Amino acid sequence: MTDLVLQAKTLRKHFTTASPLFGAPTVVRAVDGIDLDIRRGETFSIVGESGCGKSTLARLLIRLLDPTEGSVIYNGQDIASLPEKAMRALRRDLQFVFQDPFSSLNPRMTVAALIEEPMRAHGMGSRAARREEAFRLLTRVGLRPEFADRYPHEFSGGQRQRIGIARSLATRPKVLIGDEPVSALDVSVQAQVINLLEDLKDEFGLSLVIIAHDLAVVRHISDRVGVMYLGEMIETGPTEAFFAAPLHPYSRALLAAIPAPDPQLRGTAPPALKGDIPSPSAPPPGCRFHTRCPHADARCAVESPKLRDAGGGRKVACHHFEVLPASAGIATPPPRAAHVERRFALYRDRSAAPAPARSDQPEEAPRTGREKQSNQEV
Amino acid sequence: MPGESPLLEVRGLSIRIGSGGSNLVDDVSLSVAPGETLCIVGESGCGKSLTALALMGLLPTPPVNVVAGEIRFDGQNLLELSNEQMSELRGDRLAMIFQEPMTALNPAFPVGEQIAEAVRRHRRVTRGEARQKALEMLRKVGIPAAETRLDAYLHQLSGGMRQRVMIAMALANDPSVLIADEPTTALDVTIQAQVLHLVRDLQQETGTAMILITHDLGVVAEVADKVAVMYAGRVVESGPVGALFEDPQHPYTIGLIGSLPGLGARAAGGRLVTISGLVPTPEAMPTGCRFAERCPFAAPVCAEVPALRKIDTGHRVACHFAPLEDTVPERAAS
Repeated sequence: MTDLVLQAKTLRKHFTTASPLFGAPTVVRAVDGIDLDIRRGETFSIVGESGCGKSTLARLLIRLLDPTEGSVIYNGQDIASLPEKAMRALRRDLQFVFQDPFSSLNPRMTVAALIEEPMRAHGMGSRAARREEAFRLLTRVGLRPEFADRYPHEFSGGQRQRIGIARSLATRPKVLIGDEPVSALDVSVQAQVINLLEDLKDEFGLSLVIIAHDLAVVRHISDRVGVMYLGEMIETGPTEAFFAAPLHPYSRALLAAIPAPDPQLRGTAPPALKGDIPSPSAPPPGCRFHTRCPHADARCAVESPKLRDAGGGRKVACHHFEVLPASAGIATPPPRAAHVERRFALYRDRSAAPAPARSDQPEEAPRTGREKQSNQEV
Repeated sequence: MPGESPLLEVRGLSIRIGSGGSNLVDDVSLSVAPGETLCIVGESGCGKSLTALALMGLLPTPPVNVVAGEIRFDGQNLLELSNEQMSELRGDRLAMIFQEPMTALNPAFPVGEQIAEAVRRHRRVTRGEARQKALEMLRKVGIPAAETRLDAYLHQLSGGMRQRVMIAMALANDPSVLIADEPTTALDVTIQAQVLHLVRDLQQETGTAMILITHDLGVVAEVADKVAVMYAGRVVESGPVGALFEDPQHPYTIGLIGSLPGLGARAAGGRLVTISGLVPTPEAMPTGCRFAERCPFAAPVCAEVPALRKIDTGHRVACHFAPLEDTVPERAAS
């Protein structure tokens, strides 16, 4: 059937706080029984608000954290129970891109050394071959090979994220997991990095798992989406179907809360969700969302809904989703006037024109030593 | 409400660090009328927060100095006021909401006490009355069980509630002008929706003029009446919010809107429009149009600073080539 590259089965991660003098220690159920299938070559995004456990899940998937219970299957092996030595070899295939390009790169290593390090750790190639490969990767992510001997502080946020991506690609991974890879970046730079990730995915045959809270970004890059709430997966499905008509009441509220990027769509209705996300150390019984759900009834307060099939490759964990009124999803902004559309076309055309249509064109100079250059990114 | 005479007006404001270099904020003019919301948008380093701090008289001087311009509020130029006069206005008729409530509020005092302090600083009221006012404000911003929260400390509240406390404090003295610097950036999207809705409600109720600083065009589309787009210290385009989204003129605005991952539909071919290169550093500020080196339409004429000129009612743009479709020849597609 479908070709799965990574699979999670009833994955749990509970963190226990230090024991207090009296009473029991607090257990935070950051990830609580998640099943997940990642298909080969797809981009799967995990969305949710702070504290929903999405970053913990990402770390469990490549065993940066050991699960409390459950398994993660990669290539038929359960990596959650693999000995550390065997795991190390597998890490070559599973790589991570961190959110903060400022703290995830060693400031005392040059860019080339940073990119060569994973290859060295896995005993790939000769010294010369590794350096050659580092140059190639730098060029590929849109940085000049001349920058290889500079240090991370000489680069902007977007450039550092490119270095982080080059580093994670150095071992030729099969799966790339990005924990909020673009959320620390300004919108124009964010667009460059998103375009780059999409190109690299095709070129390197990657499967991407992206953790994000920005639903606009998620919609743009993903094939499938999973929504988390308080450690549980409450809805999964193909991106377009999800955004057109989210099924779970929480998904609906989440989409409704996104500010529409057009003043004509400005909503006047009060926000659907009141209050804050409850503490993951004391999640409500039954459906974890019932305390904030406008459709909750007595059953929701006692019985926890299972993630069940909703047709069209979608799954949802709600007792009542069949009987809820159809949701509108995200409104489409009205079309622009013809002359304005032409203006956008001109901009796109001009931005693309002088350089060859590839983003392996060296693109930006570091912050220091800015020389006159033709900056082009397609 | 737009069209009323401005309550706060900034004319030709220029700010720089030390004596050398170029202006970090250069010749910025803005105005906001009662009940109106002006959004200042731009990416990091465009000078939007410096502008806000200047309005509040909170610039760290030295080394940061206002070198030109004036800020007219209520018939006086705020830049000419003494520190004492400014601190009379601050927190009273001019209030500010900061991005990070954790650093803007004091973690060592209960939140109710901090709101009461803001009231007592500017009003002749007793402790009891100030506490009553604090309670009323906490209720107004929708904090559940406000009585018990009066004595809560910051660490006992969630991110959304902390931001509500800051809003309560800023609005406690019925300010005429409220300046909000990225008030929802640190919040989750459902909490952001609550806070934006709250601010809009309170503004309608009190007729406060608001200047909201953000990098998020979604927030702009949601709350703004007027928008000023800043790039590298200058206003490159300004106008009513509708005009800006439906008829963006400046290449930077076009790039900014085009680089938003399409919420409505995937962009043609699935690729986002990008703005190449980086924001110029203050040491290497171009002398002409500051956007020229990143602009796909740049030409020799861009070595001259383009004036912010009127292109439609209330809509101004600082580009030699606006409107682009009339002045830029179509290229043969490659």
